[in-house]
Amino acid sequence: MPSGMRLLLPVVALGLGAAAAPAVAQDNIRVGITLRMIVENGLRYGQMTKEELEAVNATGGINGKKIEVILLDDECKPDKGVANVNRFIHQHKVHLVIGSTCSSVSMPMVDITAKEEVPQVVPHSTNANITKKGSAWVFRTAVSERFYASVHAKYLSENVGKKVAYLYTTDAAGIGFAKDYMSFMRKTYQTEPVYEAQMQETDLDFRSHLLKIKSFNPDVLAIGGQLDAIARITQQSYEVGIPSRVRRVAASAASNAPVPELAGDAAKGLTFAAAFSCKDERPVAQQFVKLVQEKYKVRCPDHDFSQAYETAQLVKLALSRASLKLTDAALADDRRAIRDALASIKDYHGLASGPISFCAEPTPQCRDGNRTGILVEYTKGGKDYDMRVLARVSFEPDFGLDK
Amino acid sequence: MLLETSSLTKSFGGLVAVDRIDLAIRKGEVRGIIGPNGSGKSTLFNLISGVYRADPGGKVVFDGRDITNADPHRIARLGVARTFQLLRIFGGMSALENLLIGHHGLIRYGTASAILGTRRVRAEERRVRQEMMELLSFIGLADFAEMPAAEMSIGQRRLLALGRAIAMRPKLLMLDEPAAGLSPVNVDKLLETVLALKSRYGLTVVIIEHILKVVMETCETITVLDHGEKIAEGPPAAIKEDHRVIEAYLGKEMDDAEVREFLRAS
Amino acid sequence: MHPIVPWLIGIVVLLPLPLLMPNAYQQYIVNVILINIILAVGLNIVKGFAGQVTVGHIAIAAIGAYSSAVLSTKVGLPFWLALPSAVLIAGAAGAMIGIPSFRLEGAYLALATLGLAESVRIAISATDALGGAIGYQNIPPPFLFGQPLDTHASYYYVVLPLALTAMYFSFSILRSDIGRAFKALREDPLAAAACGVDVRRYKVIAFVVSALYAGCAGSLLAHMSPGFIHPNSYTITEMVTLLLMVVFGGIGHIWGGVIGAILVTIIYDLTRDYYQYQMAMFGGVVVLTVLYMPKGIGGLIDQYLVRRRFNAIRQVKSNAA
Repeated sequence: MPSGMRLLLPVVALGLGAAAAPAVAQDNIRVGITLRMIVENGLRYGQMTKEELEAVNATGGINGKKIEVILLDDECKPDKGVANVNRFIHQHKVHLVIGSTCSSVSMPMVDITAKEEVPQVVPHSTNANITKKGSAWVFRTAVSERFYASVHAKYLSENVGKKVAYLYTTDAAGIGFAKDYMSFMRKTYQTEPVYEAQMQETDLDFRSHLLKIKSFNPDVLAIGGQLDAIARITQQSYEVGIPSRVRRVAASAASNAPVPELAGDAAKGLTFAAAFSCKDERPVAQQFVKLVQEKYKVRCPDHDFSQAYETAQLVKLALSRASLKLTDAALADDRRAIRDALASIKDYHGLASGPISFCAEPTPQCRDGNRTGILVEYTKGGKDYDMRVLARVSFEPDFGLDK
Repeated sequence: MLLETSSLTKSFGGLVAVDRIDLAIRKGEVRGIIGPNGSGKSTLFNLISGVYRADPGGKVVFDGRDITNADPHRIARLGVARTFQLLRIFGGMSALENLLIGHHGLIRYGTASAILGTRRVRAEERRVRQEMMELLSFIGLADFAEMPAAEMSIGQRRLLALGRAIAMRPKLLMLDEPAAGLSPVNVDKLLETVLALKSRYGLTVVIIEHILKVVMETCETITVLDHGEKIAEGPPAAIKEDHRVIEAYLGKEMDDAEVREFLRAS
Repeated sequence: MHPIVPWLIGIVVLLPLPLLMPNAYQQYIVNVILINIILAVGLNIVKGFAGQVTVGHIAIAAIGAYSSAVLSTKVGLPFWLALPSAVLIAGAAGAMIGIPSFRLEGAYLALATLGLAESVRIAISATDALGGAIGYQNIPPPFLFGQPLDTHASYYYVVLPLALTAMYFSFSILRSDIGRAFKALREDPLAAAACGVDVRRYKVIAFVVSALYAGCAGSLLAHMSPGFIHPNSYTITEMVTLLLMVVFGGIGHIWGGVIGAILVTIIYDLTRDYYQYQMAMFGGVVVLTVLYMPKGIGGLIDQYLVRRRFNAIRQVKSNAA
């Protein structure tokens, strides 16, 4: 044998020895969490989910059983997510998987959890296809994009009007926003836009289009793009004299602080869709906001925070309802019991803007449990901007699915 | 003639480094090329070996073939081996590997068989390794076959550079200051080796050298360059007498002390 | 003895490995190690031996992965045909990524190949037919006698022979005249040319051969359960990890890629729990390796072997005296 190979064998042996399985703690409920964490608040989302689950250990656990959480980062990379979920399932023998942030990571995870028959709760990913794979093991607490994309369209067409003028920039966010709105109006009301114009991301002056829009006298001005464009268009819409009774609605980038700051007084009345607002006045929401402010030092938690929290609460609820044996031999049974307990959750009222309900069938109708979005309105612009929840918009389970 | 150049010219911007050089080297000859620093000797080598592109109008014919501006590896494969002033041996490779690279053009197996590691590849490798070990013994480096070239002494490296050129089985061997930096004893040893190699492999040799002893004792004909021009050519005895040569060396402020001394002494 | 014999023995010896692994996760890690070996061994050829600083290797792997995915899902080729086709397509892409090396070297070549690599990745993200930013899913596993090889243990028997074959090929090429020509053009392209080495030709060979490796690894990753690939897996971060394998294992050492791939993959896996510090730790390892161990683990092993041989010689001589 060549000398190199002789040397290699110990290297291989050493490596494999080092990678050998750590002893799995018996009698614990094991939960694996994988999220994208090396981003702005990412670490806090992971930390919060973990701490919310482990909090039960201080008060005697769930039905006397402790929860053990393994938290890993997947960097929004599918291969890392796949590695993490393989590790959770085979090495840590978890009873449940929570993950992930990016849809592109949650998607292959669904294939694995379905094959290995481990319940998976998706806290953040919104891509509609995640629940369309026919997996009986996946549950989503985020608002699927099939609902989310139509929150403002549904509310405004029912409550404000159907004459919509569209002005948007040609980036993905701008185009996506406008197209979703237009297709909703076509499908639901067979209504065409009263005006539609695309601009470049770099454009500064939108007034010529806004002047034309003014002459069409629309009910709604839909503004698509990134935050700079949204702030400019909003401001210039007042400069050209579009009256304030015309409802300005913008793509989700409008939720970012620079928009009300840049737009100033013009921001008042600007609305956007969201899954959660820290200005939500329900006691449960305000309690949560206070918790995040104190514990995680974030002034205004976004929907990724609320959904991480909600996911942990739902998991705890399901674990408390499932009867678990927590032996090696019963692992498959326990996983199934947890899945069934998750599927049995109906009308859960938590942080989500509406009730969350799951059911047993492996369909998006059953597994996209959170079907409520909110419409947020700025009540004040400038540095000390303020906003309020204008409306809650719930959808039928079938909404946005091809018949 | 083995090598012929006609009006070979190379200018860098305004500076004419090699100026219309005609050179004719017979088969079996040992030719010396001398000249003060910056007279264009190394540039001439670089033109012949294809490292530089010649200015239009110049021509290099080797062994009846026009090799003007051909790719360096092509010229090398036709039988022109050269050494470099700064040696440019492959420091990270062993002495044996350096010779094997010299022999590269004569190794007969293709990329596909090399990847597959066929029987033929192994037989051929055995053959060339043996052959190169013999050459290493001939130049006296057999004991250092596995030593990385960078760790060898300067004398060993000079020999190795020579050996690498010989490994190419060239028709023409061009040596760029082969003795630079060697002690007088080592210079003699190197010259012996060069002449032994010449007769053993039937080489034609061109030597650029600063140490005049080397050219005067070894070469049959000497070509003298100055400012890129050929100013004299002939047997060593005639060159020593040539007043243009003496002028070229002596009339300069910034020339080579050793050369001047040699000319004065002889 | 034919040089392939140790490798055949190696395959036989390693056959029962999945049975020895305590769980499927370790089987999965073994597969990842083997695929990383193919990637790193290929990179070692072009980077370690031929000295071409390419940052495009990971993009070639992406091309291999997506070619294999498209050929098996849209054209309907079985894995056994999709893989070799993907390898060939990757080889052609490798030739193209190699072209800048004719004129550029060092950091400039790295930048040029980085540009090419990033444009490949961005082009994939922007192409809906390739799954765009969502990813390409439902890539079928290989089938053998009608059985899908979709468990980590069964996939091992696809990956293992390919990885060892790839290693065998790399050893025979690097120990041949081709390998020497690579080293010569790494050390000094001008001197190499003066020795009759066609520098461009060998640069292209190095790029193409290494691309064949990347294509093979890419295809294997695509068909590995759950059969999902995504442009995010082919970014500069992955490329740096690959470079780390080669540097850590030993640039230009014939075992460099193998040792590096094994160690880096295992260390990476063992430090997953320290994700906050992982990137910093890996950066530190690169810097320390380059500073204090420029020839990597392979260099250390060589040193040890040389010292042992000298000691043995000294022993023989003193015994004789």
